[in-house]
Amino acid sequence: MKWLYKRLMQFVITVFVVMTLSFGLVRFMPGGPMDYIRAQALANAGTGTTRTLVLETSREALGFTPDAPLHVQYFNYITDILMGDLGISIANDEPVSAIIAEALPWTLFLMVLSMTIMFVGAIVIGAFMAYRESGRLDTGLTSIFAVLNSTPYYIVALLLLSYMAFELNWFPKRGRVAPFIEPGFTVEFIYSALYHATLPVISIVITGIGGIALQMRGNAIQILGEDYLHVGRLRGIPERRLTYRYVARNAILPMYTQFMIKLGTMFGGAVVLEQIFTYQGIGKYMFEAISMRDYPLMMGCFLVITLAVVTGVFIADMTYGLIDPRISTGGESNESF
Amino acid sequence: MANTEPYRTPNESNDTPVKLELRDTSVSFSMDRGESRVLDSVSMEVYDGEILGVVGESGSGKSMFASAMLDAIEAPGELTGEVVYHTGDGETVSVLDLSPSELRTLRWESIAMVFQGSHSSWNPTMSIRGHFNETLSYHDFDVGAGMDRANRLLSELYLDPERVLESYPHELSGGMKQRALIALSLILKPDVLVMDEPTAALDLLMQRSIIALLDAIQDEYDLTLVFITHDIELVADLADRLAVMYAFEIIEAGPADHVLLDSSHPYTRSLVNSTPNLETPIEKMQPIPGEAPDPVNVPTGCSYSPRCQLADERCRTEDPPMIDAGNAHESACHYVEHVDEEIPLSITDVTVQ
Repeated sequence: MKWLYKRLMQFVITVFVVMTLSFGLVRFMPGGPMDYIRAQALANAGTGTTRTLVLETSREALGFTPDAPLHVQYFNYITDILMGDLGISIANDEPVSAIIAEALPWTLFLMVLSMTIMFVGAIVIGAFMAYRESGRLDTGLTSIFAVLNSTPYYIVALLLLSYMAFELNWFPKRGRVAPFIEPGFTVEFIYSALYHATLPVISIVITGIGGIALQMRGNAIQILGEDYLHVGRLRGIPERRLTYRYVARNAILPMYTQFMIKLGTMFGGAVVLEQIFTYQGIGKYMFEAISMRDYPLMMGCFLVITLAVVTGVFIADMTYGLIDPRISTGGESNESF
Repeated sequence: MANTEPYRTPNESNDTPVKLELRDTSVSFSMDRGESRVLDSVSMEVYDGEILGVVGESGSGKSMFASAMLDAIEAPGELTGEVVYHTGDGETVSVLDLSPSELRTLRWESIAMVFQGSHSSWNPTMSIRGHFNETLSYHDFDVGAGMDRANRLLSELYLDPERVLESYPHELSGGMKQRALIALSLILKPDVLVMDEPTAALDLLMQRSIIALLDAIQDEYDLTLVFITHDIELVADLADRLAVMYAFEIIEAGPADHVLLDSSHPYTRSLVNSTPNLETPIEKMQPIPGEAPDPVNVPTGCSYSPRCQLADERCRTEDPPMIDAGNAHESACHYVEHVDEEIPLSITDVTVQ
C-alpha cells in the first residue's frame, strides 16, 4: 500500500510539473501568446482599444489575467485546468476541452488499433522465428525487419498514400469517416472508420512490428534454452502447454511495460501521421495549433499528450504485478529462508 | 566390456534384482572438429533398492550418464546402445524403443530425475502448486490424492506444505527449492530417482541435511537412487555402491567402502588422495597432474594413461576391460594387483561428518 501511495504521488507530481511548465512557457516566452493576444485584441478593437479588452481576451483564452500578481495567475490557471477549463481556442473559437474531447477518441482509436495489431503480430511472428531459429524463414525475416525497423513511419505513410490512395484509389485520401454517415454503433459507421484508418494503421504497424518481433524472438530463444522447459518436458507436460504457459508467458512479460509506454508516446507520433492522412485527431489539432499560433489549443494538446505518457507508465507500473508474480509486492521483498 | 550379464554382489543375497541398466550406452555430438563422445560405451546396473553413487570430475560425462537413464539427451546429442528398465513384476522395458507416449509415462511415473540448479528448474511465473498440479493432471493421476501426497512429502522434507505450495519459486530459498524439487520428483511414485548434482550450489549444512533426508526417504518409499556428484565425500556414507567416471567411461565400480578405502584403479586412488580431509595433513594431499581429456580426442588405450604413474606401453595401446578385483568390485586397469603397492591411500577410514 505504501508503494501504491508512493507511485500515486509520483504521478501527481509529474502532472503538476507539466502544468507548471506550460504555464511558464506561455507566460514568459518572448514573442509568445501574450504578444499575440495583445495584437489580436488591438486588431479587434481598432484604435480605441482598452486595457480591459486585452485583459478580458487573455483571461478567456489563456486562463489568467496578465496584470494580477504571479501567484494569483498561477493559482487561477491551475484551478481552471483542474476544473477542465483549458481556455478557448483562438483559431477555432471553441473551448479547448471540447475540441480535445471530440478529437481524442479518434486518435485513441487509431493508436490502440495499430498497437494491438503490432504487438499481437510481433509476438506471434517472433515466437515462430524463435522456434525456427537460424532457419531460412528466420534469417530472411530478421533482415527484412531490420530494414523496416529503420524506415521512418512517415515515409511509409507518404508512399502508401500516394500509391494506394491516389494512384490506385483503393483507400480514402483523407478524413476519419466518409461524410454524411451518422455517428453511432452501426455497421456502416464502424466499417467506414476502419476503412479510413487502414492506411495510417498499416504505416505504423509495418515500421514498428519488426523491432518488437525481434525482441520477442530473442526473449523466446532465451526461454527455449531454460532448464525449466527441459524439466517440464521430462515431467510429461505436453508441448502445447509448454509453448503457451512456459515459453510465451515468460517471453511476453518483459514486453508489457514497453507496450504501455509506447502507447503513451504514440500520441506524439500522431502529430505528423494525422497531418499526412488529414485525420482530424489530437495530433492534427496540435499541428494546426502550432502553425497558427493557437496557444491555448497547443497547451491543451501538450497537456493531454503528456498525461497520456504518464498515465501509460503508471498503468504499466500498477498492473505489472498482476501478470508477473515476481513483482507482486512492488519491490518489498517477500523472500523467506 | 562383458557387462551384459548382471553381476551379483556376493555379500548381498544373490537374488537382488537389477532395476535399471545401461548396456554399451554412448552419447555423441557431431561437431565441426569431429565426433564428440561424451559417454563412451558405458555399461552399468542399478540394483533394486540400492543407492548408487556416481562420482567424477566436471566434464567426465556424469550428467550424460544421468540423462541417458531417462532417454533425456537433448538434440543434437545422440544416444545409442540399450537402456533396460525392469518393472519389478518380471517385465523388462527397453527404454530407447518406447513410443513418445510410452516414454512420457515411463518418465516421472517410473524413473524421475532431480537436476542440478534447483533455481532454474521451476517456471518463474507459476506457483509451486501449479507445478504439482499440472504434473498430476497430465499423467492422469487423481489430483486430490496427489496433492495429499505432495503435502506429506513436503512435510517429510521439513517444509511447510501450505506456504511452500502457495509460493512462487523466487519466494523460496535455494535449499527450499531443492527440497520442493525432490518432492515434485516423487509425486508420481517413481521406483527410480536419478539425481544429478542435487546439492550443487547449496551450502555445506544444507547439503548434509539433504543427504540425511534422502537416506530417510529412500527407506520409506523403497526407492532406487542414483546419486551423481563430483563430491566423493558427500556420497561416501550415503551410497551402497560407488561408480567412478573418468573420460566418459566408468573405470571403477563396487561397494562404496571398497571403492574408497581399497580403490583398485589408479585414478580413484589419486582422487581419494587429493580430496581435502580433516585428518590428512595438507602436505600429504596431492593433486593429479595433467588434465582430463577432450571428448573429441580421447587417448588411445587406457584413457587415463597420460596421467597415470603406472602407465606403460600396454596401457597406451590396449584399452583395459573391467577386471574383477574381488568382492564385487571391478576396475578398468591392467594392473589392478599392483595398484595398492604403487599408490598408497592417505586415508584408512571413512570418517565423514
